Amino acid sequence: MKKTKWSLLALLFSVLLVLTACNGGDDKPAEDTKGTEDTGTEKDAKNPDELFTLAVENEEEAIEGGTLRVAMVKDEPFQGIFNWELYEDAYDADLMNWASNVIFETDENFMITDTGLATLDVDQDNNKVTVKIREGVKWSDGEPFTIDDVILPYHIIGHPDYTGVRYDTQFQNIVGAEEYNAGKADTISGLKKIDDHTLEISFKQLSPAIYYSGDGLWSYAAPSHQIKDIPVAELVESDAVRKNPVTLGAFKIDKIVPGESVQYSKNEHYWKGVPKLDGVVVEVVPSSSISVAIGSGKYDVIQHFNATKMPEIENYDNVTVLGRQELYYSYLGFKVGKYDFENNTVVTDLEGSKMGDVKLRQAMGYALDIEQVSEVFYNNLRERANSLIPPVFKAFYDDSLEGYTYDPEKAKALLDEAGYKDVDGDGIREDKNGKKLEIKLAAIAGDATQDEIIAFYLQNWKDVGLNVTLTTGRLIELNSFYDKVEADDPEIDIFMGAWGTGTNPSPAGLYGKVDQFNFSRYTSEELETAVKNIDSPKSFDTKYRAGEFKKFQQHIEEMATTIPMQFRYEIFPVNKRVKNFSVDYANEYTSYLHEIELTAEEPVASN
Amino acid sequence: MWKTIVRRFLIMIPQLFVLSVIIFILAKFMPGDPFTGLITPETDPARIAELQEKAGLNDPWHIQYVRWVGNAIQGDLGLSYTYKRDVAALIGERALNTFWLSLLSVILLYLIAIPLGILAGRYQNSFLDKSIVFYSFVTYAIPTFVLSLVFLFIFGYQLHWFPTNGSVNIEHEAGSLSYYWDKFYHIILPSITYAILGTTGIIQYLRSEIIDAKSMDFVRTARSKGIPMRKVYSKHIFRNSLLPIAAFLGFTITGLLGGSIFIETIFGYPGMGQLFVSSISSRDYSVITALVMLFGFLALLGSLLSDIIMSIVDPRIRIE
Repeated sequence: MKKTKWSLLALLFSVLLVLTACNGGDDKPAEDTKGTEDTGTEKDAKNPDELFTLAVENEEEAIEGGTLRVAMVKDEPFQGIFNWELYEDAYDADLMNWASNVIFETDENFMITDTGLATLDVDQDNNKVTVKIREGVKWSDGEPFTIDDVILPYHIIGHPDYTGVRYDTQFQNIVGAEEYNAGKADTISGLKKIDDHTLEISFKQLSPAIYYSGDGLWSYAAPSHQIKDIPVAELVESDAVRKNPVTLGAFKIDKIVPGESVQYSKNEHYWKGVPKLDGVVVEVVPSSSISVAIGSGKYDVIQHFNATKMPEIENYDNVTVLGRQELYYSYLGFKVGKYDFENNTVVTDLEGSKMGDVKLRQAMGYALDIEQVSEVFYNNLRERANSLIPPVFKAFYDDSLEGYTYDPEKAKALLDEAGYKDVDGDGIREDKNGKKLEIKLAAIAGDATQDEIIAFYLQNWKDVGLNVTLTTGRLIELNSFYDKVEADDPEIDIFMGAWGTGTNPSPAGLYGKVDQFNFSRYTSEELETAVKNIDSPKSFDTKYRAGEFKKFQQHIEEMATTIPMQFRYEIFPVNKRVKNFSVDYANEYTSYLHEIELTAEEPVASN
Repeated sequence: MWKTIVRRFLIMIPQLFVLSVIIFILAKFMPGDPFTGLITPETDPARIAELQEKAGLNDPWHIQYVRWVGNAIQGDLGLSYTYKRDVAALIGERALNTFWLSLLSVILLYLIAIPLGILAGRYQNSFLDKSIVFYSFVTYAIPTFVLSLVFLFIFGYQLHWFPTNGSVNIEHEAGSLSYYWDKFYHIILPSITYAILGTTGIIQYLRSEIIDAKSMDFVRTARSKGIPMRKVYSKHIFRNSLLPIAAFLGFTITGLLGGSIFIETIFGYPGMGQLFVSSISSRDYSVITALVMLFGFLALLGSLLSDIIMSIVDPRIRIE
């Protein structure tokens, strides 16, 4: 008996040994978070803007050709719709970028420049624009690029059989788009082909958005010689979209393993010159093993790397981590009204809303220790936001805004001032009339970290004497959350959401009087004027537009109906052998794919 | 027996009908719809409403149901909202991946579990038996994702014995011999992981069946006739002990298409498990309903197959 016990123990011991061996053998196991703390403090000393570099600095001699290995972090197969008019998610867009059909290039303010395949000439008085494309450009199959390739996308998006989201009010701004969509016309009358390289487009009205490919302007070409005879309804399933799309970009698609990987080779006909690389391979890599894959030197460029995994790769010496601020902000919204779905208008009712007192809203903002959450949970890859316009929009961002920096004493003072006092002595404040005050928070369910963060915020509020509880008692699944928030569910007083701003940060659509997505249901004359002015013809003057943007930001900050919470960084680990790679919005690699080079035959592994 | 089989198939029709109604209603009960996920600040709510209307999502559920059944009977399962592809083609592609992976897993599973179970039962209470029992409890206790990750890190990233993600390396020309070898190469590691984790049930079942059988009358009779122990095991005990394993065979065969969400996610292998879970989170109604119907049908078929197999291997059982 004694003997068997020992043998069992021995077996157990050997199993443990095996397990520790794999831990030891693994250079940087995924669970290793050692060193997070000290690097955290190190980062505090730095200005967040300098957290990451935007471009790799590699001065070594480049090799001839070579294949760039790209990992796209994703836990599901990609959808594989390789057509700019039809695709739906960001992953497909990233896959298409290597073979891009984009015709306009943009500057650091995301405005269209003259350096791309096409130029844009805006005739503001007549609501017309002229798109002129370069001559002598060829598609990846050698066919000439003509203006028909620019016209075709409009007839795809506007087609009655088109089932994407891009046929919207913006698109209907093109003269004749609605008639074409209703089947009353064979073409869109607002599109006028001047010659083989020139297109004139008539709009119902123009706004500054036109310089950001808004107002209905489309910034991609489609290979009309390949797809013009395919009925729009069948396009999405066709081989021309799924298997062998013809493209204009630096690389062309050679082979696709559905949902898993795409192989590209250099496009000999590329208009900026033949790319220096021989090709690119993009693979979907599961998030669970990406950190180890980076360390082992399997990939050169990593896209969609989750910033929370940063500590796992921090010690690798084979990668440069590039980073940039995302066009994103998260926010805390307060319900101060309802949406009238019959008349399509926001009805603000500050008097009658639980969250109607501006001081209460401001106090709730000051009470949140978002700084600590950013540091502890996000390693400072998120930071306290002070505005509804991310700072990357240099021309429009108001850096003078104070924001609601953590200040619990100020929060308490504001609440006292507004008359929210603890009458019955239980440590929780009652409302102005001395009745119990319970504020219902709706928040989106996520991983375990999300649970902890929300619990932390609830505690923050409790610390200043506010009783905040969760709508439905728990965090809410994403779809359900937006359903409830949009329907003005009476169980929701405040809610935490996030928006990606796109490249045109105009508040239209989110803060206007008619906008369903104006979830806090706040509107005022001042706000509505600013929102309208931002997209008015007067705003073709960028200075004027910037002024209106400031008014908008300041008004929202003052009213605190939406309190910005965090800005976010996206990071791109890049292997040391990659040369000429940048994620700077002003100078992004997607415009310079042909310049990318490699300085070693294989990606470098970490020591 | 043929009569019974035909009858069983006929009973499946109302069973599947009830299943389809339930899944249809439940799917519609989920908040949101396939278009909710497309919303960005630039999306036009009016366009979303228009798309919902076009897709017929605003009709009452029974009208949508009748429309769906009408198409499904003609073999048209509709278009996936997420992938914009014919549902049958999409499922077919994934099912094929999952089928090969599961097939290899099940073969390995039986190759590991049956000898271990037999050895443990035969040499009951020996050191070998104890080790096997210990092994089976350890593998039972390890969560799938832990072992998958450990294997992936050791055999994939450290030793470079196996590929780490995907179902095939893109460099191989589709249809060539190296292409099929590479596909096989990609399923080895996930299959081994799956097989090791799944052995417990069979080992324990087999072991206790053998231990029970050892004290049965027919074994004692055989021994008293002077048949050597080795022969008693191979001719009398094993055959009888394997019966319960055979009983599960039907479910095992049809279960080949189920897939495993953990293994597929960690090894980046596009299969049915992932498709099912992601179709639920993206509210891809057409895929959800098609998959549930398929799984439902397979479960019914599995139980029928098991009964048939039992009646073949065990002459005492008759299907009436």
